[in-house]
Amino acid sequence: MRDKARGPVNGKPVQSLGVGFPYFAALPADLYRSDLVSFVEITPETLCRQRATESTIQIEIVPDRLATAQDTCDGLPVVIHGVELSIGSAHGLNQAYLKMLDSFQKEWPFVWHSEHLGFQTIAGDNGSRLEIGVPLPMPATVEAVELVAERSANIQQRYSVPFLLENPAHYFSELPADSEIGNEYRFLTAFTQQSGCYLLLDLHNLYCNAVNHHFDARNVIDTLPLDRVIEIHVAGGSWRDGFWMDAHDGRVPEPVWELLEYVLPIAPNVGGVVFELLEEYAIRLGVPAIENELRRAWQIWNLSHGAN
Amino acid sequence: MGLIEFQTVLGRMLREQNRDDHLRGVCLEESESRYFEKLRDTAEFRFYGSVQRSWCIARATKAAHLTLSLLPKEERERLLDEWVDSGSGAQSFFFVEAESFLDFIGEHLSDRPREFTVCQFERASLRAIDGANVFVRPDAASLQRPDSCLRRGRYAALVCFDADPHQSSHGPLAQLFSVGQIVMFSPGLPQFWQEPSPEEVDLWKALESPTPVRTLLDHGHSIETLETLLSYGAIEYGNPHSSELR
Repeated sequence: MRDKARGPVNGKPVQSLGVGFPYFAALPADLYRSDLVSFVEITPETLCRQRATESTIQIEIVPDRLATAQDTCDGLPVVIHGVELSIGSAHGLNQAYLKMLDSFQKEWPFVWHSEHLGFQTIAGDNGSRLEIGVPLPMPATVEAVELVAERSANIQQRYSVPFLLENPAHYFSELPADSEIGNEYRFLTAFTQQSGCYLLLDLHNLYCNAVNHHFDARNVIDTLPLDRVIEIHVAGGSWRDGFWMDAHDGRVPEPVWELLEYVLPIAPNVGGVVFELLEEYAIRLGVPAIENELRRAWQIWNLSHGAN
Repeated sequence: MGLIEFQTVLGRMLREQNRDDHLRGVCLEESESRYFEKLRDTAEFRFYGSVQRSWCIARATKAAHLTLSLLPKEERERLLDEWVDSGSGAQSFFFVEAESFLDFIGEHLSDRPREFTVCQFERASLRAIDGANVFVRPDAASLQRPDSCLRRGRYAALVCFDADPHQSSHGPLAQLFSVGQIVMFSPGLPQFWQEPSPEEVDLWKALESPTPVRTLLDHGHSIETLETLLSYGAIEYGNPHSSELR
């Protein structure tokens, strides 16, 4: 079920990896050595520690954590899914993250690299970098698209692997927008055109937004540049204070599976589908339930890619 | 509206929920200011505010679970509110958040020795665990160099559980208080802590500031004690005038 080449991206085939799962040190290694997981999504920050010097912040890979992760993944292809970059922060992205990823790639090469479209830091009154505490969405403006596209193109060149941005879940019904861009989904199209980069289509994020902002997710999918989608996420969520929250706290809702069934046959360059969970909920959910979700993802994958 | 203005004001509105000067130093047109005024009154913004606050409180609570468990509910909530209201609690790396929050709590416990000691204990244990991620056993041979200096280890601590005859021993770590236990934390120890010998305590106290090895030996500290503490990171090479041995 691994390493099948299909669909050209920049003249190179996208590796067709199948169904993947995030790396969690707390789960049994056997899960990653089963036929249900054909690639692993690594959030490299979870293998790191942060160290502040007098003038800078450094993110350092912890050798023991890296070695354990490599042993657990046992040669499976890996893709990167970062959370600390804050690619949309106007005051500057997280350079410490990129420096860490430079080292990470030398230790453990990855097939592609993804991040979240949004920002989570602002500049403080003294110019310092302040964490907001939650990820926030970008306005659909020309300035925002240009900023993110230029940074993404540089990142793609830096690592020589496809760089993907993930459509975010967010709870604002109105965000500032320029008429040239229109809305957050046209932002994605403009981003791919200007950057030459790719998309991670998170179907649960899209579902969240569709539920909270009252639109049809399929109509949005039909407007996206699906040939630029390389990875798809499915995940679960829950209700909180009247909003469907992207909580990654359980099984995938049925409407999200239906979206996967809808999009996979019409997105020609998808290389993999990942079932996302937070580690604490992965432990609570348990391996048998996780395996059931992975089987369901494989069933849908095989419908459009052919069972091996 | 410019991107940096949008992000600065929105970020401040969420980080500084008890303040109302989020537009400070930001140049906005009237319609743009109204956008934020309107946004603040929406259910969606209140939802973001609630999520941000609960995540920040959860991070801090996880960081100082033991110390917080000693405090009355009202005081615990007041400290957490004060911490989050100051814009803290947003760090995603656990040890960075934990250390900052325990320092903050410690400042509020300076007149309560028992709670302060538990706070020190919790901070010291987390710091030693974090230090173990990067600890490399140093070469003891450098102790023979004439210019070698030693200092307390960056990830080490000595915590004294002073026995208090006026307080009965109950609650977390009660047994340690009842016997006036001294505990040394170090990143290179198998369980990150041990009961130090009197010689080790004396050496730790002598290293309040970096000190040449020669001076330590002249003052009666043994080379064996130096080697032992060096081997598990309780002390380390360090000279305020030179970093060549670090």
